[in-house]
Amino acid sequence: MSARTREADVVVIGGGPAGLASAASAADAGAKVVLVDRNRELGGILNQCIHDGFGLHAFGEVLTGPEFAARYIDRAFDAGVEVHPNTTVAELEASRELVCTTLGERYPLRAASVVLAMGCRERTRGMLQIPGTRPAGVYTAGTAQWLTNMRNLRVGKKILILGSGDIGLIMARRLTWEGAEVVGVVELLPYPSGLPRNITQCLEDYGIPLHLSHSATCIHGRERVESVTVARFDGRRQPVPGTEFEIECDTLLLSVGLIPENELSRRVGVRLDATTSGAFVDDRHMTNVPGVFSCGNVLHIHDLADWAAEEGARAGTQAAAYALGGPAKGGAKPIRIEPGDGIRYVVPQTASRGSKELLVSFRVTAPDENRTAEVLADGRVLASEDLRRAHPAEMVQMKVGCADGLDADRLEVRLT
Amino acid sequence: MGEIFDIAVIGAGVIGSAIARALSRYAGSFAVIERTHDVGMGASVRNSGVIHAGINCIPGTLRAEYCMEGRALLQDWCEELNVPYGICGKLVVARAEEEIPGLERLMRDGEANGVPDLRIISGEEAETIQPGVTCVAALHVPTSGIVSPYALTIAMAEDAAANGVRFFLGSAVSGIAPGADGFTIETTTGPIGARFLVNSAGIHAGRVAGFLDPEAPEIHPCVGEYLILDRQAGEAMSTSIYPAPAAANAGLGVHITPTTEGNILLGPSSEYVSDPETSCCTKVTTDRLLDEASVMWPGLPRHLVIGAYAGLRSKLTSPETGGFSDYVFRRTPEHPNAIHLLGIESPGLTAAPAIARHVVDDLLASDVGLRTKPAGEIRTRRWPDRFDELPEDEKKRLVAADPDHGDIVCRCEGVTRAEILHAIDNPLGVRTLSGIKFRTRASMGRCSGGYCLPRIVEILQEEFGWSPGDFQLRGPDSPAFVGRLLEEDHVCAHS
Amino acid sequence: MTTKRLTCILCPNGCEVEVSYSGEPTPESISVDGNTCPRGVDYAIEELTAPKRTLTTSVLVYGGTQPQASVKTACPIPRESLFDAREALRRIAVDAPVAIGDVVASDIAGTGVDVIVTRPVPCSP
Repeated sequence: MSARTREADVVVIGGGPAGLASAASAADAGAKVVLVDRNRELGGILNQCIHDGFGLHAFGEVLTGPEFAARYIDRAFDAGVEVHPNTTVAELEASRELVCTTLGERYPLRAASVVLAMGCRERTRGMLQIPGTRPAGVYTAGTAQWLTNMRNLRVGKKILILGSGDIGLIMARRLTWEGAEVVGVVELLPYPSGLPRNITQCLEDYGIPLHLSHSATCIHGRERVESVTVARFDGRRQPVPGTEFEIECDTLLLSVGLIPENELSRRVGVRLDATTSGAFVDDRHMTNVPGVFSCGNVLHIHDLADWAAEEGARAGTQAAAYALGGPAKGGAKPIRIEPGDGIRYVVPQTASRGSKELLVSFRVTAPDENRTAEVLADGRVLASEDLRRAHPAEMVQMKVGCADGLDADRLEVRLT
Repeated sequence: MGEIFDIAVIGAGVIGSAIARALSRYAGSFAVIERTHDVGMGASVRNSGVIHAGINCIPGTLRAEYCMEGRALLQDWCEELNVPYGICGKLVVARAEEEIPGLERLMRDGEANGVPDLRIISGEEAETIQPGVTCVAALHVPTSGIVSPYALTIAMAEDAAANGVRFFLGSAVSGIAPGADGFTIETTTGPIGARFLVNSAGIHAGRVAGFLDPEAPEIHPCVGEYLILDRQAGEAMSTSIYPAPAAANAGLGVHITPTTEGNILLGPSSEYVSDPETSCCTKVTTDRLLDEASVMWPGLPRHLVIGAYAGLRSKLTSPETGGFSDYVFRRTPEHPNAIHLLGIESPGLTAAPAIARHVVDDLLASDVGLRTKPAGEIRTRRWPDRFDELPEDEKKRLVAADPDHGDIVCRCEGVTRAEILHAIDNPLGVRTLSGIKFRTRASMGRCSGGYCLPRIVEILQEEFGWSPGDFQLRGPDSPAFVGRLLEEDHVCAHS
Repeated sequence: MTTKRLTCILCPNGCEVEVSYSGEPTPESISVDGNTCPRGVDYAIEELTAPKRTLTTSVLVYGGTQPQASVKTACPIPRESLFDAREALRRIAVDAPVAIGDVVASDIAGTGVDVIVTRPVPCSP
């Protein structure tokens, strides 16, 4: 234990796809990197995502979550990253001094820059305020996935899934294969929130009903879930009286959204975006706290691990540059980047004046077809891209080239 | 017929647990009989967690007497047991001029009960005490406080158990037969004999009393729903905020109160129900709680709600009458050795140690033959410090002493592996997931166990070899899992 | 003429493709529209004639740091064989350590396809 490094150029917090890629790219850039991860094994949530569909962007192959993780784990070790597994960051100061804790040791760690890559957590029943009793058998889909795939447990026999997020859809198929009866998926919105291909291969393949514009209005069962009352919900997200029906089940899985895990960030004074629940970052992925960077699901929820990893790699390079004292970008006031018509949010939220290239990630507010996404600088179109299909479930990324260097008061991303 | 105890206490809520703890300081054989699989799982953990100052009790009543006596004793007991509590004060707010007489009435009652330092203050002054509170005037009650109700109940029961009291958990009382020398209490796990009997069954106390006393009054369940807000919201909250009462002897109204762990509670609602097992929360009530609380505290961060619960008041007043009745300590001439505690509603948590003391005094005056234990025979079992709240140096020292303190199992509440292991090793033998939760706070935070449940499961599988059926939320009727995904029995090819 | 809309599942883009054919669908009779890459055509034809899926599941591991190892079919298998393949794998256990790519079963459910490990499980200490 005492062999653990106490000082590094870059400390990466979190060993999921973003953290691993970030650590590897920071090390490739010449930095001495320590990766702190709270799990016994690296890979984060990927280890429980035993389904395939990962890696097409990053490797041009179809991989399962653990296989995808293994590629990045190898990459991080090959780059010389020192890993502190089974370790939680207990304290983080703006001075980039950390207190880490693991079995038998609570130790300080200091870095020139810190990359936040803690990922996200699932929204819970309590946050949704689903009325009813408080029986056993209510799980978030990701927790159920962990229990199923990592701890060899059956969470239930007759399963209702609330929310059509990808994890819930994947679990619908997984539990069907495992002999459970998945009695339906209930989605508040008029469209599914998971990827279209997961609707096809996880629900339609098995004839699992998808109730759009519906949600749970009451959970029944004193000791264990016995049934759930479901009703149609109107455009203002209120239940329509008279549309209630009861679905018998012993388990309710919630796949109703993910929340960036920013408790540590908040404590260190990182300013958060109310829409993404992640940090405000500049185009280097640096937060308002100098030397503290953010990437992956802790910055904004990604629908593909490939993109979380790519973002991590970019943040890692920048964190290394900061730590190694590379060319400091001048003190010029950064340019705000704001979501315009049809856009829910844009990351990063600011760009450095004079940048030659900018990558923006954004989501649209509602499903649509044949629209054009534009990046505007003070009203002038800098870049545009046709979107054959625009869907809130699908993050869009656009590269903006600006050979003369960016200069504007304000950038905007909008849908036309 | 099983063992015969000197005294059996029916019901291990905060009252039964307090009585058990008080009895454990005497030589004798004592049993506590509890329907659920842990202590305090009824109203005792589903309330506001407030140490009442004594302004809401009509002077001259038992409620007033036990509240005043109990609040002092409670603080002593919390010190002895290391249970978290705090005197954070309370503002009872008038949102309009016509509510000010209500404040004056509370002040008069409070002063008659001996509550010190009561003052009616302006809205502006109220806002200096609790920024963001909106009112025209307020009654400031500096002696009001908060306590962790589950920590208190469990700590009292575990202390009692560690000092010789026998707990029969998961034992619902189905009948009581009087005999020549006491009672035979029929339970779902077998009969238990006792010379003396204390009925502190809370919501079920009327039914239990009815086994011996057909004239026993009926208990009316009245549900109170609460919402729990994230600790992030609690940072802005330093004192409890109550509305001015609607009428004399009315309920306390929807209030906002900090908890000893830094969360905020909103509630309770008040609705009579027929089912004494109700634990259902409703959307209508949830919305109403948020609306009513927002009037007093407009900055209420609604988006930080992380949970909800519903508790049942044990009311002697019928739905038609409403309001409060006084506590009833009932002993009949036919069965003088049975004491029934009826209608112990608010401020029952505050009053618990005082009620316990009076019950024990009554028993001492009877011919039970209780003798005080020598001090050397008493081993007080203290509630563990929360690792997360200790200073950094102390944390370092603990991790060096016990490596398991270095492993954080619940990230939201900062609970360590050592704390989980300590919770499982409790003297009541409670082995439920809910038991671990209430003993450590693991899974009580913002992720509701999404992160720590799998880790707790892993610890229990690996350290204790638990199989799927061993994982229960509250008891055998609430299994967490239905089996193994892959069974060794199915394996026929082993490569 | 039959017209159907399919969501291509080969990549996360999930293109919606329109297929039309007369009579029984055969590779020759199917026309595909709306795909954004050539694989969409292959997918649509296969989906209508002989749909295939990859099975991703887990098998028991003895003596490992985890009780189970995740596995997948090395390539997609006929959709109707998924449950048979799953049941066959339920009867198989392996000893730790296992590494990514280790074959835990060959010709699963008569499909001619291997089942391989997707997550390493080291021996328990």
